[in-house]
Amino acid sequence: MSSSLKGKGSAKRSIAAAVACAALFFPALAAGQAPAPPSGLTARDHSWDNGTRIDLQWTASADEATLRGYVVRRRSTVETNFSVVDIVPAGTNALTVGSLNREAGHLFRVTALGANSLESTPAATTAPVFPTMEWFDGTRVWFLFTLVLLCGSVVAFIVLARRGMPLTLRRIAGLEAVDDAVGRATEMGRPCLFIPGINDMNEIQTIAGLTILSRVAKTAAEYDAKLEVPTSKSLVMTAARETMQTAFLTAGRPEAYNPDSVYYVTDEQFGYVAYVQGLMVREKPAACFYMGSFFAESLILAETGNAIGAIQIAGTAQPAQLPFFVAACDYTLIGEEFFAASAYLSGEPDQLGSLKGQDVGKLLVGAGILLGVLGATAAALTGSAFIESLVNFFTGTMLT
Amino acid sequence: MTPTGSLANIRVILATDCGSTTTKAILIQPVDGVYRQTHRGEAPTTVEAPFADVTLGVINAVTEVQELAGRRLVNSEGRIIQPATANEGCDIYISTSSAGGGLQMMVAGVVREMTGESAKRAALGAGAIVMDVIASNDRRRPHEQIQRIRELRPDIILISGGVDGGTTTHVVQIAELIAPAKPRPRFGSEYTLPIIYAGNRDAAPLVQNVIKEGFALTVVDNLRPVLERENLGPARDAIHNLFLEHVMKHAPGYDKLMEWVDAPIMPTPGAVGNILQTIAGRQGVNVVGVDIGGATTDVFSVFDGTFNRTVSANLGMSYSIANVFAETGMANVLRWMPFDMDERQLRNRVKNKMIRPTTIPQTLEALVFEQAVAREALRLAYVQHKEFATTLKGVQQQRTVGDTFSQATSGQTIVDNMKLDLLVASGGVLSHAPRMHQTAMMLVDAFEPEGFTRLAKDSIFMMPHLGVLAQVHPQASLEVFDRDCLIHLGACIAPRGAGKAGRPCFRFSIRTGDREESGEMLYGDLRLVPLGERETAIVIIDPERGFDCGGGPGKRVEREVRGGTVGMILDARGRPLVVPTARAASREMVERWGAALGLYPELAPLLTRHS
Repeated sequence: MSSSLKGKGSAKRSIAAAVACAALFFPALAAGQAPAPPSGLTARDHSWDNGTRIDLQWTASADEATLRGYVVRRRSTVETNFSVVDIVPAGTNALTVGSLNREAGHLFRVTALGANSLESTPAATTAPVFPTMEWFDGTRVWFLFTLVLLCGSVVAFIVLARRGMPLTLRRIAGLEAVDDAVGRATEMGRPCLFIPGINDMNEIQTIAGLTILSRVAKTAAEYDAKLEVPTSKSLVMTAARETMQTAFLTAGRPEAYNPDSVYYVTDEQFGYVAYVQGLMVREKPAACFYMGSFFAESLILAETGNAIGAIQIAGTAQPAQLPFFVAACDYTLIGEEFFAASAYLSGEPDQLGSLKGQDVGKLLVGAGILLGVLGATAAALTGSAFIESLVNFFTGTMLT
Repeated sequence: MTPTGSLANIRVILATDCGSTTTKAILIQPVDGVYRQTHRGEAPTTVEAPFADVTLGVINAVTEVQELAGRRLVNSEGRIIQPATANEGCDIYISTSSAGGGLQMMVAGVVREMTGESAKRAALGAGAIVMDVIASNDRRRPHEQIQRIRELRPDIILISGGVDGGTTTHVVQIAELIAPAKPRPRFGSEYTLPIIYAGNRDAAPLVQNVIKEGFALTVVDNLRPVLERENLGPARDAIHNLFLEHVMKHAPGYDKLMEWVDAPIMPTPGAVGNILQTIAGRQGVNVVGVDIGGATTDVFSVFDGTFNRTVSANLGMSYSIANVFAETGMANVLRWMPFDMDERQLRNRVKNKMIRPTTIPQTLEALVFEQAVAREALRLAYVQHKEFATTLKGVQQQRTVGDTFSQATSGQTIVDNMKLDLLVASGGVLSHAPRMHQTAMMLVDAFEPEGFTRLAKDSIFMMPHLGVLAQVHPQASLEVFDRDCLIHLGACIAPRGAGKAGRPCFRFSIRTGDREESGEMLYGDLRLVPLGERETAIVIIDPERGFDCGGGPGKRVEREVRGGTVGMILDARGRPLVVPTARAASREMVERWGAALGLYPELAPLLTRHS
């Protein structure tokens, strides 16, 4: 059957060159009879590929038994000379030639290579063959399977959630504590402070932070508590205002919404931090929320909040800042928890289903990594060819 | 109103409890150097027309005690004789009351889960029934809140809200809801509705400005001065005082009764809470008490010195029996029954119990059915209690980096069955069960005690009397509580954890004075080891991995266990207890457990008939 050029190309090209050199410079060696040529060479576009492969097939030479192999050559319609593509061992009568330019047609020749290194006359294709790209690349079947599994689980969970199947999420303490924090501020007669990070709206963490702002603002509206949102980007201010207005409307208290409670301070990182810190010391908010993308300011803000006795809830996907938040805040949403907040808080079937589906995907990836590591380790320890072939299949075929 | 003489001179104590239907009187006297309850009498309560004088019922009950004791307690003028002489009178007379529906209160706070909950705790702890909690975040519009306040007819209103130095606007807003609503009291047209203000001290003058006419406003210390701490004492004292000064004075005959007593009359549940707190404090134990009635179920708990009480107003054995079914579902009740019951028959039983609340089971089937309902009512009441008895909410947390993946929230329940030492039962279905084993089993099934837990029942619902007595003579109260009030049923030993049926759960070794016994319990099994009321045993439990009997998973525990009328129950059914609702499975399980404890020895022929 066909074999691929991949991996063997350079070695085979060297052999072909050696054969050519031998014929040129050592005529004595070429003395003798050239083998009978192969016949009936056909070239067809390789089906279900990305338009880079052509399948060749020929009828074996009459001297098959004494042959060293067959030399396959190729030339595109824009080239003048044939070049060696591969030398395949005797007994082979098919080859898939890859890495072809699909813009051009390709002509092929196959010669039989005798034991004395003499080549037969070639069997050749008469018309150029164009490799064509199909809508699906057959080598990516496993990729498709994985994709269907991952997306399918998301879709399946969404459908199940819509049909009323209860999907439970583990409790996220930081989100549960929003009521506590706003309640504390209400009882103490002090404001709540919400910091949506120092990045702009192109940062996904800022968007996730605003989702949580929606919940905080709704709770503040219900409790009749004051909520202040200083921002370091003007676009974030606009988005935060809209978020808050909607939240107050949802809570049934649109009249309590004050657009001035969301305002822009400065784009400068430490200018912004200095302002917020001063605000915290002066106003002593009883609840501080840090939700978004944070850098060096994380500990400055959280320590100040801790010092004034506020309940603090932080959420970020910046791994470097998490330890600071965990140590200084009451509750911290870590990475994925932060992004899951939207589904967690809304409880909407679509979002919950999507979250569950993603969890299945993560589980599969985790299982794949574990399986690969275990297989590779076992192959290395035991030297088993079977396990190695399994690992190669897994890494070379399933995961490519 | 105060006991005369020193405590050493007090020899004869008379106590009454004026319930809604029955007034109960007990006589306490020293016997062999310790105080004992010697005689008991009861008579119908006479607070309603045509008598309309609670003292008539009291005198009738005391007269019965007098006849039984052979000691003259009531004089010719119909008054209790004091002080005691050799053959007549008593040194102390005390009383509790729950007549006329007890003390009904409405409470208000700024945030429902914070000061609202603290106010509720204060009211419940004082023995009141909380009709509603008004709060800024209760999701009702102001007009709905005012409407609700108008509809309620509370005896007392408690307003809290704001820490000291905290919000004043929210507190004044609450006052502004109550003042125009002008809620009318239950008793008497001349009655001025008492309001207790126990909120932010800065807001007190503002509240006084709002609540002026038509109310008797009492300002006490803030019950939540800071969010980290509750200060319920002043509010509870104020509730007790107002209960006497306002509520009791307007109830028929109570003005007279208040003159007779030597200690303030307490609401019955408040007195029960009082004795449980005293016992927990003196003995250093964690206690849960339950009183299941026809309409309501009260659960009391003292864990690490923190007292909590809840009233499940919709869970009871007669008036509220249908609510039990509505809340838990028929399948959950049926799973406790060792035989099937036709659904139509079941519905008839429930409805009959509702319209004839005083009936008691006449057949074994009816008894089993009633005890199955009781299990669910108790279980649900305990779930509600656990949800209420929590740590304070809105408290700042201190974290370290080690807490990254274990961030516990505030407001966690403080009820921990593993730490529970004593479980006390009272109320008709528990106290009057034909066999003590049935009472013990109802407690174990409903409360699911873990580790080592003593089980007891209040023999004749004496806890209210002793709760008041604890205020004036704690020693007498404790002695009577231990000797006469409680009937010790025994102990339950149950490890926490889950396993597979038939697999080993724990090994036990029991050593008493004259015998030694050891063995292995398989998961799902139940076993009764006889251990008499005055006996104790040294018990060693070696739980399997994954099971915890108080020492940690798989760790050996050795304890001294006190016996009782039932004995020692070794419960290897795991915790949480899982009883399937599938009939075939649950029937087999319940039948097996019943047989192990000898719950219904007469049931075997009945089961044959059903099968």
